[in-house]
Amino acid sequence: MTRVITLRQAALWLIFALVMLALPQFVSNGTMRIMIFANFLAIFAMSWDFLSGKTGYVSFGHPFLVGIGAYTTAILSYRFGVPIAVSIPLAVLATLVGGTLFFLPALRIKGTYFALVTLAFMELMYQLIQVIRPDLTGGTRGMSGIKTLVSGAAPNYYLSFGLMFVIALALWMLSRTRLGTSLDAISMNEEAVSGSGLNTTRLKLVAFMVSASVAGLGGAFYVHYLGSIAPRALFDINFVFTIIVSALIGGSATIIGPMAGAFFMTFLLEYLRPILPGSERYFVYGLIALVLYVYQPKGIFAIVDDLRNGKLRLPGRAANGDAA
Amino acid sequence: MATLLELDNVFKRFGGIVATNGLSFNVEKGESLALIGPNGAGKTTIFSLIMGEIRQNSGAIRFKGHDISALPTHERIKRGISRTYQVPRPFGDMDVAQNIRVGMTPDNLWQMVFGAPDLQAELEIARSVGFREEDLARTPSTLSMGDLRKLELARTLATKPEIMLLDEVFAGLTVAEIDQIAELLAEKRKEGMTFIIVSHDLRALEPLVDRAVAMTFGKAIAEGSFGEVMGDAAVRAAYLGE
Repeated sequence: MTRVITLRQAALWLIFALVMLALPQFVSNGTMRIMIFANFLAIFAMSWDFLSGKTGYVSFGHPFLVGIGAYTTAILSYRFGVPIAVSIPLAVLATLVGGTLFFLPALRIKGTYFALVTLAFMELMYQLIQVIRPDLTGGTRGMSGIKTLVSGAAPNYYLSFGLMFVIALALWMLSRTRLGTSLDAISMNEEAVSGSGLNTTRLKLVAFMVSASVAGLGGAFYVHYLGSIAPRALFDINFVFTIIVSALIGGSATIIGPMAGAFFMTFLLEYLRPILPGSERYFVYGLIALVLYVYQPKGIFAIVDDLRNGKLRLPGRAANGDAA
Repeated sequence: MATLLELDNVFKRFGGIVATNGLSFNVEKGESLALIGPNGAGKTTIFSLIMGEIRQNSGAIRFKGHDISALPTHERIKRGISRTYQVPRPFGDMDVAQNIRVGMTPDNLWQMVFGAPDLQAELEIARSVGFREEDLARTPSTLSMGDLRKLELARTLATKPEIMLLDEVFAGLTVAEIDQIAELLAEKRKEGMTFIIVSHDLRALEPLVDRAVAMTFGKAIAEGSFGEVMGDAAVRAAYLGE
């Protein structure tokens, strides 16, 4: 790997962008609205992936970061009339402060303990939003009537896709640099990274900051798409699992995988809706996730890779096709 | 010869166990020192203390005359100290080239993001430990123990060390692999590399070292040429059970 992006990869990204930009000509407004949600879920899943997939510090509290971005811009624009062009950058800055708080436990703990602490961050945020200055946050009921950036399915689709595409390309390119390689190495053996002369505390801080800024940016745009915000919808364990499962189904630490996983998850849940209108459909996606992990723990990304290299195997058979 | 590394009255306790009991020794630039002793003597603890992976309770560790006791591991690596582990610790999902790349990566965010990896240098380091160009794409799970030891050495060399601490570098290797690694170390010695080597394979170790320090229960019990140390009655009693 001498270049961060090759000509062939640039062409694939361009084709992806062109196909996605052409889609509104061929699909209904309903499908477009599903795709808007998929775009935002992809942003959150990629944000999670850059932190947890790459460094191995699994966050169960990512909505904490998304929420800071969403609430900051919502309060600034709705309560104080701050223009969105100003409130969104301020929301990202606020998320960076939140990301620093999120990072502090990672200095001392990892694994399950870190995951639990991040879950506590989310729960704490959920409780605080309701009791601290409900006149600003809207308390339990949240806020509605928040200014939107554009109106209509197609403009919102283009906006959300544009944001998702830029974030995906930037994170993908960043992950292909030596910074990305070093972050990957942290998830495999943090002590050995330190033993290679790299300051792992600084590397982790960078991963947290990048992840937080993406989560904050996504959260801010998301609230201006929805036009409303409520704590229970945001700081919800189902939302956490949807983000994490999207990233894992797609293929963690790959950036592209979580993006594909987010689309797969969104459409799966939507197409299951007429058949299973209740929360039973979450069982189905759980089952699919389980089967996929057993077959290929590295997700859809690895399956596509195997297909490309002719290494795809059937369950119970060795990779080279020999009977196991 | 100038003193490169100096341990001065280093104590390290783990609860009620004294792992290092007032240990002192020097390593001169270009010298190769054997650290020998029975299991549990504190040899690996010494390496962990020198690397800053654990901190001593008292005493000082000096590198080129500067006390490095307060420095974190990555700062010690940058000053020119590096180590291998008894059990190789490769980055499992990365190929040989990427493993070496992590060792070569400068601890500078700007260069990490905007600098390109030096593929030629990666290949040269891989070749210097006996890998072939086609091995660069192999992952650790496909490597033999001998190749994993070579990868450890390559990752260590990638940090451009002035002194290498090699922990049980011959453990788990076949006779042919031991000869290959020994030849490699002899080559590096000729190039002027300074070593501290821990090994129970005394036959392979002897021709590679200038001097030896024998330890038991965290204390040095003999120091001198390899022959002198191995002939010492206290060493033979503690190490060989004679």
